[in-house]
Amino acid sequence: MKRESLGELEELVLLTVGSLAGQAYAVTILEEIAEQAGRKPDVTAIHSVLRRLEAKGFVTSSMGGATADRGGRRKRFFTLTVAGRKVIDETMLVRMGLYKKLLTIQGS
Amino acid sequence: MSSNPPRWADRFLEWYCHPDLLEDLQGDLYEVYQKRRLESGKRAADLTYVWLVIRSLRISAIGKSKRLKNSIFMMTANNFKIAFRVLARDKINTAINLVGLTIGIACFLLMGLYVKQEISFDHFHSKKDRIYRSWVKEDYGEGKIFFNSVTPLRFEDLFEQNFPEVEAAVRITQENHLVGRGENRIDEQVAVISPDFFKVFDFEVIAGNREVPFQELRSVIISESYARKYFGDDDPMGKVLSLQIAENIEDFKVSAVIADMPHASSIRFDIAVSAENSRRFYGEGAMNAWFSVLAETYVLIRENAEVQNVNDKMQDVVMGYLSEEVERGQYNIGLQPLTDIHLNPDVPAGFAPVSNPQYVYILGAIGLLVLIIACINYATLSIGQSLRRAREVGMRKVLGAGQSTLVVQYLSESLLVALIAMTIGTVLTVLLVPTFNTLTGAQIFLTFRWWHLFAYLGVGLAIGVAAGIYPAFVLSGFRIVSILRGGSQGGGRHVAQKGMLVFQFLVTVFLISTTLIMKKQVSFMQEKDLGFNYKSVVSVTLQPDPAAQRLTQVIASGMENGKLLKAALQKHPDVTDIGMATHVFGSNGWTQLAYTDDKNVFRRFAFLNVDANYLKSFGIKVKEGRDFEEGNGLDERQSIIINQAAADYFGLENPVDDKLPGKEFGEHRIIGVTENFNFTSLHSQVEPLVITENAMPILQGISDFNVEDSPVPKLVFTYTGSNLAEVQNILDKEWEAIFPNEALDFSFVDQKIQQQYENEARLNKLITVATILSIVIAILGLLGLMVLVVNSRIKEIGIRKVMGATPITIFALLSKSFISQLLVAIVLSVPLTLWLMSKWLANFAYRTEIGVGLFVVSGMAALLVAALVIVYHTLRASRINPVESLRVE
Repeated sequence: MKRESLGELEELVLLTVGSLAGQAYAVTILEEIAEQAGRKPDVTAIHSVLRRLEAKGFVTSSMGGATADRGGRRKRFFTLTVAGRKVIDETMLVRMGLYKKLLTIQGS
Repeated sequence: MSSNPPRWADRFLEWYCHPDLLEDLQGDLYEVYQKRRLESGKRAADLTYVWLVIRSLRISAIGKSKRLKNSIFMMTANNFKIAFRVLARDKINTAINLVGLTIGIACFLLMGLYVKQEISFDHFHSKKDRIYRSWVKEDYGEGKIFFNSVTPLRFEDLFEQNFPEVEAAVRITQENHLVGRGENRIDEQVAVISPDFFKVFDFEVIAGNREVPFQELRSVIISESYARKYFGDDDPMGKVLSLQIAENIEDFKVSAVIADMPHASSIRFDIAVSAENSRRFYGEGAMNAWFSVLAETYVLIRENAEVQNVNDKMQDVVMGYLSEEVERGQYNIGLQPLTDIHLNPDVPAGFAPVSNPQYVYILGAIGLLVLIIACINYATLSIGQSLRRAREVGMRKVLGAGQSTLVVQYLSESLLVALIAMTIGTVLTVLLVPTFNTLTGAQIFLTFRWWHLFAYLGVGLAIGVAAGIYPAFVLSGFRIVSILRGGSQGGGRHVAQKGMLVFQFLVTVFLISTTLIMKKQVSFMQEKDLGFNYKSVVSVTLQPDPAAQRLTQVIASGMENGKLLKAALQKHPDVTDIGMATHVFGSNGWTQLAYTDDKNVFRRFAFLNVDANYLKSFGIKVKEGRDFEEGNGLDERQSIIINQAAADYFGLENPVDDKLPGKEFGEHRIIGVTENFNFTSLHSQVEPLVITENAMPILQGISDFNVEDSPVPKLVFTYTGSNLAEVQNILDKEWEAIFPNEALDFSFVDQKIQQQYENEARLNKLITVATILSIVIAILGLLGLMVLVVNSRIKEIGIRKVMGATPITIFALLSKSFISQLLVAIVLSVPLTLWLMSKWLANFAYRTEIGVGLFVVSGMAALLVAALVIVYHTLRASRINPVESLRVE
C-alpha cells in the first residue's frame, strides 16, 4: 500500500490535534495554529483538512460541549488515532534525520 | 436577536450542507462570528460570516445532500435527454419549429448586424469619447443662416491657441486632383491632412512613422489598396506620385502606407498630403478667412477637461477676432462628438454622407418583430401540442413532479430548439451576408470577436426562454384530475393563444402593407414626370483651363473646351440634343446664391449657367416668353430665364422683360419663365431657379455663394442608338482625340436620378426581405397548427365523412377559427399601418396616396396564403379513408 503523505497544513493540523489533548475542535485548532505558527488560515480550510484527515483515518471525532456562543450547537472534538500518531512520528523522523544531517555539515 | 448572523446566509448553509456535518460546522462558524463581532462590530462580522458560508461550500461538505441531487441543477442532463427524445419523436413539428426559429434568428441577426454597424460608426477610435468635429453657424436673423460642418482653415489654430482644454486639433480637406503624369492620369480624391492627424485618430499605419507621417513638404500617404493600384507588388515607400496642383504637376514621395480605412468610418481617404501645403493650394487669403469653409476640423479634448468649458468661452474668443465684422452670437462655433456624426441629421453633412437614423431604428424594430413572431410561432405550436402531452404531464405530476420541475423540463426543450436554431441561424447568416449585401446594397462586414460567442449564447438562451416560458407554464399548470379523467383544459389560455396568433398575423399583414406602400412611393419617385426628359441622356464633365481661378473663368473655359467636344460628337448620327451647363439633374445640390433685395429681404435661389441648347436638350418647356436663341448676342450677355417658383418667390406678376429685384445685379432682362421642373430630389419642393448664359451680371449682385455639386460645366447629349455600350466607345474615341491627357468622366443622367432614392430603395428591399421571411414563418406556423388540429380531430373528420360531409364542409370546419383571427388581424393592421406610413411619407415633398386598394391587396394576399395552407390540409384529411382514421387508437 502506498504510504499516506501529509500536506503542510494537514501536518500542522494533525500536530495541533495531538497537542491539544482532547480539547481539539476547529476553533481551538485555529487559535492554536495562530498562536504557535503565527499564521491564520480560514476556519473553513481547517474544516476541510479535518474532514480529509478523518477520511484517511488519522483522527476520529465525537460530538459534545455545546455553548451559548454557538447557538447551543455541539462541538466536534477530534482525537489522534494510532494511525495518525504513526504517520506523525514517521514524518517527524524523516525531518529530524534530514535536519541533523544539515547541522553536521553546516554547523548550527 | 441582533447578535445572530444574517438569516439568509444561515439558510443557505443549512440548504447545501450535509446534515451530519451541519451542527458542528455551523457552531464553529457561530463561534468565529461572535468573536469577530466583539472585535470589529456586527457589520464586519456579518460579512465574515457570509464569506465563511460561501467558503464552506465545498464538495466534501455537500457531497451527499439529497436536496441538491433532486434539484433542477442535477436534472439538467436528464431534462435535455428527454427533450431530445420528445423532439425526435415529433419530427414534423420539430422541423417546423426549427425552421421558423432559424429564419427568425437569421433575419434578426442580419438586421441586427446592419443596425449595429450603423450605430457603431466611428467607434473604433480609442479616443472616440474625446474627439469632436467642429461646426460653424452664422445666424444673422430672418432666416439668414449659414450652417456648415466644413469649417474655415484657421479653426485648427483657433482651437489650439485659445483653448487649454484642447489637446490637439487636426483638419482634413477633400478635393480632386489629377494623379500621374502623361497619359492615363486619373482624377482622384486627395485628402489634405494635418501632420499630427494620426495622433488623434487610430487609423493603422503599416509603413512609415506614425508620429511624423510626412517626412518632407512633398510627401504623400497612400492606402494599401492604392499602393497596389499604383505600384503593384513593389514596395511603395519612397516611390513618386505626381499630383496636378493648379497648373503645375508636382512630384510627391510616398512616406507612409496606411491600412484601408474601415467601412464604418466617416473619415475616408486613399491619398493624403500634408496640410503644410495649404498655402500653396488655397492661397494666402483662405488661410486667414473666416467666411470661407474648406476643411473639417477635429478637436481632441484633454482627458478630464470639459467640452462645456470650450463652448462657454467660445463667444469671447470669437469676439476677440471678429468684433468688427459681426455682433455677439452671430458667428457660432460648436463641437459635435465624433460618434454622433454618422446618425445625426441635424448637423449638416461634412465630406461623408449621413445616414437616416429613422431607417436604422425601423430596420432594428423589424428584425426584432420577425424574431418575436418566430417565438410566438413556437409558443402557439407548443401549446397546440399540449393535448398530446397532457397525459405525460399527468403522469409526471402523479409521480411527484412539482410545477417548477415541469417548467424547467419544458424550458429545456425550447432551449434546445433555440440553441440548435441559433447555431443554424448563425451559420446561415454568415453565408447570407454577401447575398444580403448585393441584394440590398447595404454593406455589412462580419468581424469575429470572442465575446460574440457569449453574446450568441446569451441571445440563444433569451430566445429559448422567451419562446418556451408561456407554453411551459400552460403545460405544467394542467390539473391532474381533469387530465386523467380525459377532460379538456380550462378555457382561459385560449384567449392568450388566440391573441398571439392574431398578433403574429397582424405583424405579417402590417409588413406586407408597409412593403407595398414603400414600393409604391419609391416607384412613384422614380417614375414621376419631373418636367424634363432624361431617358438615355449622357452627361460628360468638361475640362476647364487648369489655370482658371475665378468661377466665371472655370465656366467659360470649360464651355469653350466643350464646343470642341460638341463639334466632334455632332458627327455621330446617334448623338442628338447636345447642350452644356454647370449642373445636371441627379446631383447633390446646384449652386445656391443669396443676396438682400431692395426691400431688405434676404433671398436665396438656385443658379444654373447654360448654353443656348441646354433647355431644349432636356425638353424643358418655357411657358411664358421664349428660350435662349443660338447666336443671339443679347442672350449671351444679359438674358435670363427663371422658373415659375422663382417668379412666385420674387413676386413678379409679369416676369417677362422684368428684372430680379436687386440693385447690385448687372444689366439683365428676364426673357422667359419655365414650368417648374424637379431639379432636386423629390424629398423637397421645387426651389426658385435662375438660368443664364452669362453668370457675370448675377454674380455681381449676390452676397453669398454655396455649392455642393461641382460647378465645372458638363456637356449633355441624348443617345438615340439602341446599344448603350456604344456610348462609351464614342466618348472614348472623341475624348482621347481632344483631351489626350485627361481622364474621361461621364454618367447616365437617369442612373443619377435613381441614385437620389437609393436610401429609400434600399430600405424597401430590406423590408421586403423581412416581409418574405415573416410570411414564410406565418405559413410554417399555420401549417404546424393545422397538422395538430387535423390530428386531434381526425376521428371527428372520419365520422363526418361517414355521415356524408364534403371536402368543402371540412374546409369550413377547419378554417373557421383561423380565418376569423386573420380577419381581426387585417382590420387591426389598417390603423397601425396608416399611422406609421403617413409619418414616413411626411419625409417627401411629393408623395403617393396610401389608398384603400393597398390594404385590400395585402389582406387578400394574407387570406389567400392562409386558405392555401388550409386547403392543403383539408385535402389531406379528407382523402384519408374514414376506416383508417376511425381505427386510430
